[in-house]
Amino acid sequence: MRFSVYQESRIGGRKSNQDRVAHCYSRDALLVVIADGMGGHLHGEIAAQIAVEYITEAFQREGRPKLPDPLLFLSRALTNAHHAILDYALDRGLPEAPRTTCVACVVQDNVAYWAHAGDSRLYLIRQGGLLVRTRDHSRVQMLIEQGAISEAQAAVHPSRNRVFSCLGGNHSPQIDYSRKTPLKAGDIIALCTDGVWSPLANGAFISILAENPVAAAVPEILAQAGKLAGSSADNMTLIALMWEDTYVGEVSASIETQTMPIDTFTTQLEKFGKGLSPAQMAELSEVDIEDAIEEIRTAIQKYSKQDTP
Amino acid sequence: MPPQQNNQPLPPGFQLDRYRIERQLSLGGFSIVYLAYDEDESPVAIKEYLPNSLALRVAGNIMPTISDEHMPAFRYGMKCFFEEGRALARLNHPNVIKVLNFFRANETVYMVMQYERGRTLQEHIQKHKGELRESFIRAVFTRLLNGLREVHTHKLLHLDIKPSNIYLRNDGTPVLLDFGAARQTLSSDQPMLKPMYTPGFASPEQYRSRDRLGPWSDMYSIGASMYAALSGAAPQAADGRLERDNLVPAVKRWAGKYSDHLLETVDWCMKIEYAERPQSVFVLQRALAQKHAVSADAEAASEGWLGSLRERLRGMISK
Repeated sequence: MRFSVYQESRIGGRKSNQDRVAHCYSRDALLVVIADGMGGHLHGEIAAQIAVEYITEAFQREGRPKLPDPLLFLSRALTNAHHAILDYALDRGLPEAPRTTCVACVVQDNVAYWAHAGDSRLYLIRQGGLLVRTRDHSRVQMLIEQGAISEAQAAVHPSRNRVFSCLGGNHSPQIDYSRKTPLKAGDIIALCTDGVWSPLANGAFISILAENPVAAAVPEILAQAGKLAGSSADNMTLIALMWEDTYVGEVSASIETQTMPIDTFTTQLEKFGKGLSPAQMAELSEVDIEDAIEEIRTAIQKYSKQDTP
Repeated sequence: MPPQQNNQPLPPGFQLDRYRIERQLSLGGFSIVYLAYDEDESPVAIKEYLPNSLALRVAGNIMPTISDEHMPAFRYGMKCFFEEGRALARLNHPNVIKVLNFFRANETVYMVMQYERGRTLQEHIQKHKGELRESFIRAVFTRLLNGLREVHTHKLLHLDIKPSNIYLRNDGTPVLLDFGAARQTLSSDQPMLKPMYTPGFASPEQYRSRDRLGPWSDMYSIGASMYAALSGAAPQAADGRLERDNLVPAVKRWAGKYSDHLLETVDWCMKIEYAERPQSVFVLQRALAQKHAVSADAEAASEGWLGSLRERLRGMISK
């Protein structure tokens, strides 16, 4: 696995930061997760903390070195995190269980899987453009999809922060899952809380990520979001991941190749051609091959004569 | 998901150009290596370019199937295979694997190399986990560096030195194998060759800043290989070290077990900052050779070629 990852969380104009973020990887699997504790509810910060800790710990237990079934893992981890928050509330005798959004993504074998509840988002950016993003579990998202309001209207809608699914709380969460999504080298996966995506237009967010290394893009996006939101800025958390698929070279153990999923074919091909100019990608002609072989043979003869002076 | 299919090797007895295939020696993602005999019945090792993901040879067939879609990538990989051939053809040194011939057949290309009897340093390390003698380590690496010096003299970098690419002949002399990652140092405008990393042995600049590659990059891999010889396992990968360096310095980890001088040399090679490592093979060789005589004297004669050599030497001296 080869990737670069960068995460940052800012408090914005609030008194406390209820966002939590983490990433974690083993030799063969990677987890990134973000949770946004619900400010209006008791102990939102704790819910976010429990969710992120719980999911990370589950990953550390099961991802040795990879998860047997990533989607099943996500399903169990998010559901169990939900129950862990409820247990916490019961233990403390809290009148209401704290709540948090959550989005988590696993990458292994160059395939990404993600799951979310609430309005923290995942973006997958390929070749400078948005390939896919999660759909918020919010009322305004529903209204947009019904055609009742436009994106622009949603941005200023009074109930834009209302989510109908989250971990914790009194209802079972609605968790949506991605498909198995094979990654290509250069793909960027970004997870963020609404404090980040809400003030920024989609385009700005994507182009900064697409054009900069993640370590530069993340602080830049947070700075812009903070500036646009002004003094009332929400907590802002963003983690971005640039997938740089490793070329599978001379592997000595045949088992390693055998366990490779079919998807790595494609990715490996990407690497072959990556960084090549069109001229270099131009097909090696029959004549070129003959010439190369002739050149090597001549060199072998020339240099092997040298050692018998 | 269906598992990736592995390529079938050429069948034993198959006549390939002027060589007769005996058996498969190893299978990689990129190639198959065979033991074969030439018309004088001399054994050779033949490496067949056959990337698993691009060309498929099913059982019973000789010709691999390469789809039109995969052909450009297949040919590009072939260019890299030629690079390895070019690199090796120019080298002629007892501690570097010798290429004997290069030819085309079955829609792909083959490199014929000298067949060596022995085992890889990797196998040796695993067999004698944690009990390699200082004199053995010094002797093997000093000689290996002779070969590497030859590589660098030709303005080439190996870039994939690791215990499994170091072969120990039955007489104990090392041979540097597998120049699949070798690259010319002087032509920075060269097309980017396939980047290859072996976690634990590749230098930090191989991960992050390939424009800083230099002889010092191979020095890192030499240091990591020595570290692996001491510990019996690959050290922490350089990309991990860049984030959080958990590598216990050799000086600390094996204090008292090996001479400080050897351990310091290992740590010196494995500096994250390339400018702080030995800058040339020669400098490192000097360091390794320095104490060799002393430690060989200090250690009791051991099993293996070095021990018997020393005993023979002693015998000669006492006569």
